[in-house]
Amino acid sequence: MLQRSSQRDARGALVAALLSILGIALLPAGSYFTYALVWLAVATAGAASGYTPLTLARRGLIALPFTLAALPLIFIRGDELIWSGALGSAQLSISGAGLRIFLTAAVKSWISVQVGTILVRRYPIESIVGSLRALKLPDAIATGAGLTVRYVELLRGEASRMLRARSARSASPVGETRERIGGTIPWRAKVTGNLAGALFLRAYARAGRVEEAATARGASGSLSLGSLIQPDTRLLLKVLLAIGAFAAITAAGALLPRI
Amino acid sequence: MRPLLHIPDGFLAPQVALALWVATAVVIGIALRRIGQRGPAAASQTILMGLSGAFIFAAQMFNFPVAAGTSGHLLGGVLAGFLLGPWAGSVVMATVIGIQALLFQDGGLLALGANIFNMGVIGTLGGTLVARGIAATLGNARRATLLGVGVAAWLSVMAAAGFTTLQLGLSGTTDVSIGLPAMLGTHALIGLGEALISVSAISFIAVSAPEIFAKSAPAAPASPRRRVAAGLIITAATVSIASLFASTSPDGLEKVATDLGFINTSQAAPFELFADYSIPGFDGVAGTALAGVIGVLAVLLVIVLLNRLASARKSS
Repeated sequence: MLQRSSQRDARGALVAALLSILGIALLPAGSYFTYALVWLAVATAGAASGYTPLTLARRGLIALPFTLAALPLIFIRGDELIWSGALGSAQLSISGAGLRIFLTAAVKSWISVQVGTILVRRYPIESIVGSLRALKLPDAIATGAGLTVRYVELLRGEASRMLRARSARSASPVGETRERIGGTIPWRAKVTGNLAGALFLRAYARAGRVEEAATARGASGSLSLGSLIQPDTRLLLKVLLAIGAFAAITAAGALLPRI
Repeated sequence: MRPLLHIPDGFLAPQVALALWVATAVVIGIALRRIGQRGPAAASQTILMGLSGAFIFAAQMFNFPVAAGTSGHLLGGVLAGFLLGPWAGSVVMATVIGIQALLFQDGGLLALGANIFNMGVIGTLGGTLVARGIAATLGNARRATLLGVGVAAWLSVMAAAGFTTLQLGLSGTTDVSIGLPAMLGTHALIGLGEALISVSAISFIAVSAPEIFAKSAPAAPASPRRRVAAGLIITAATVSIASLFASTSPDGLEKVATDLGFINTSQAAPFELFADYSIPGFDGVAGTALAGVIGVLAVLLVIVLLNRLASARKSS
């Protein structure tokens, strides 16, 4: 019988993803050759999952805004100076060590995001939650996560309708954008808070109805949401392959030259 | 304007990420135990927690225009913690942050422990305890509760931003002396939006569903000793965070004295304990923050001594 995609065992893939990300995190700074090799391996796995390397690379840019945190290191570290000069009225210097730390963090996060992207592409979130429960994730979190995943689209739909209603009732004069109308900032925040409060009350009422329905069907205690239906028979092999991949990444990081 | 709080993988040193995983697992483990102790009520609490997780996701869609194309939106930690209780709220936020990392790659998997620690433990658990502490200290009236939620919501964003920067600093990915003021400066505005939305949401629920609001608010005012302890913690936290923004420029009198040339006529103090708010052995912002906390404790000590003196006079 064909297995439903939401019931697939993702334990092997989860272990592989976590070990790959740990291996990438443990790579020394400036191991650009290793980064390139690891990315090639990740891009190959992505292609096997239906992602073109370009699409995968673009998805990896999601972490780009966070690189701002590491950006100042390029200019404030005084070691391994590679350029120094005036830019307008400001004196600037570029540190090789700072640049290496910045590039290392940016590339590592870029590749790690792609690993996560492939995981979610291959396994739906329900399947991952079920696999996490099988990996001894506590019941309250597994059931809570299962319910969150199940009802998130419904509540997002409610939120969209509320936002549409707010928008429909906020007439704007011709030539004015919506961002420039609608009272003071505290007033806008208050309206947004009211919407959030109203949405919570709907979620609260829905929780009551879910509980009643579960009780009516004879449920007691855990709802066992997010359960794993059919365990993977090749789990051990997958875990061994994941450990092998981790060892290969670590060895490449130690052996290949750094810049 | 989006908060920069979901640390991606690659920014934290593995030892920092793993240590925060352990710390998070311990706190979330305690939270789960506390929820499990509710007996049969735990099952319905779990259902409410699941739906609240979906609510937080959906509520993060709500934004309001601020200016120049930027908008404020909800993070929801203190809101969830206040409505569900601090322990359940922190588990809900841990679940939401986990799903955000898995589903949207918003934050890394190895960094997930750190992200839950910053937003779920410090932001939600800590924030809710601060909210309740303020409300209890001020007598649990509705206004006091709303004030507590507002202050705690702002502090939760600031604390999460502060901890994120410190962890990046520990990992060698940022310079704390530059990163901390930049992060706190940006998140001070984001926190303001969070505070306004959280207060409005709680206020709406208090009017529309007073029974849910009554369930959320602590039942009885805290004892005087707990009030003092809560006030002390809040003041120390506020002072130590505010001290990070302290200007290094001279104050008004010093500036005038320098400009008019009579600064040299000033005489040195007969003794110096913490000259210029610095503590021996602690450089930079850490020393200033510690000096702020010591100042709070000194003021408290003086007040306690004066109070005892007044009580002794009254009884005699």
